[in-house]
Amino acid sequence: MAASLALPRIDADLLDALTVPARQGDYPRDSRAFVRIDTSLRIYWHTLFDICPGLLDLSGPDGLAIFRPFMAWAAAEKLSLNWTYYLWVDVWLAQSAFRDRVTPELRLSLMGASAARWATGDRSEAGGIALGCAGLPDLVCGWKTRSILSGRRIEQFTLEEPLPPPDGPFGFFTIAGDDLPDGFPGWTPIPR
Amino acid sequence: MRIGFNFTLGDTAPLVRRLLAAGRIDYVELLIDNFLAVPPDDLADELAGHFTVPVGFHIMFSKFIETDEAALDSLARRLRGLIDRLKPLYVSDHVARFTHDGRQLYHLAEIDYASDYDRVRRRVDGWQDRLGQRLFLENYPSIMDGGHDAPAFYERLVRDTGCGVLFDASNAVCAHLNCGVPLEAWEGVIAATPHFHTAGYNLSILQPHLVLDTHDRALSEATMAFLERCRDRFDKPGATMTYERDDNFDEDDIVADLDRLRAVFAPRIQDRDHGRIACLAQN
Ligand SMILES: [Fe+2]
Repeated sequence: MAASLALPRIDADLLDALTVPARQGDYPRDSRAFVRIDTSLRIYWHTLFDICPGLLDLSGPDGLAIFRPFMAWAAAEKLSLNWTYYLWVDVWLAQSAFRDRVTPELRLSLMGASAARWATGDRSEAGGIALGCAGLPDLVCGWKTRSILSGRRIEQFTLEEPLPPPDGPFGFFTIAGDDLPDGFPGWTPIPR
Repeated sequence: MRIGFNFTLGDTAPLVRRLLAAGRIDYVELLIDNFLAVPPDDLADELAGHFTVPVGFHIMFSKFIETDEAALDSLARRLRGLIDRLKPLYVSDHVARFTHDGRQLYHLAEIDYASDYDRVRRRVDGWQDRLGQRLFLENYPSIMDGGHDAPAFYERLVRDTGCGVLFDASNAVCAHLNCGVPLEAWEGVIAATPHFHTAGYNLSILQPHLVLDTHDRALSEATMAFLERCRDRFDKPGATMTYERDDNFDEDDIVADLDRLRAVFAPRIQDRDHGRIACLAQN
């Protein structure tokens, strides 16, 4: 409750609340802290629903039936919300009341969104990433831009001989160049 | 004062080319880590073919205060190759929190200028060593009252590490409007650096309105007044002012802002002392 917390003075006082919708209520509605947290949360919202608007068909137009419980679960699970954000939304959906309404198209859009996020945000020397999913045969790849005049590319591959499914819900491998390798290097579990 | 424009994604290349062709900008600031997978030869050729002006390097996601050393070594190796080759006007990076407890912050957070100082200082030393280059570090658009500690923090950091500040004038205006950091508090920082940013900002959806560094609209009157008032403190040999725009690429709007900046910094014969006194008096 608002009364139990010392009034935040600096931004770092709010760090624990910037990713947790329920924590916003710890601060008075008319305070800078409340609006600061709201501003932070809105970016997670837009990062999810602007990129995968198909989720709104499940949740309703404000997205909150997905956003609030997912963010609470992600906080409890200490998920990093890095490029795997959308993949963990898929994992959460599979254990939620929405599980029977999740289509392969929606799942592929979540995989594509994560691949794109990796391709724009990763700063390692890898040039691409391949994502595989236990329930879908196709590979989704994200490629970093190879020209200042273009942008990252997302591709979906249907393999003649599907790869073995990853052990967990998703697996990935990175690719040095900008083409699928000849051999299969094996799946790495996605980071939390 | 050289006026520049930021280039972060391929989509805006035609716009940047038109601004260059019309003489509205003198250099391009590359968000360089967005282009690290472009083969260096191709990057150099594309720049030479399309932009034909000097570049500045703006590093967005080194996260050099937080990232492990091996990842920084790898990043620095690639950046150094591009620095040697393209000889940017400056290399800049950010002092901010990108993660908390291993969780990624999508709206970057402001550091605690008091308790984080020693760690940031060590990290700046290490990152400059790795890059073999003086770094210009950008001030944060403060929301909370910790922003009051920022100007003294940067002055101390510059003294202790030899880094510079990439002073973002509109970020300082955001901090002024959000938490009352006086613009005068930055005078020492402004006088000591030749490299600047400016951009439009917007208000938060909820009230009480926060002023957010959104880079999606025209420069505010407060920002323009700040630049006009302190024009002579900003302008100096080798000075650069990058106009940042990351959304809502309305070309007429952008051109109008660039023309306003050009007018403020147009060369003129002026008594510098007079300008300095005017800057102090009107802040
Ligand atoms: Fe900036």
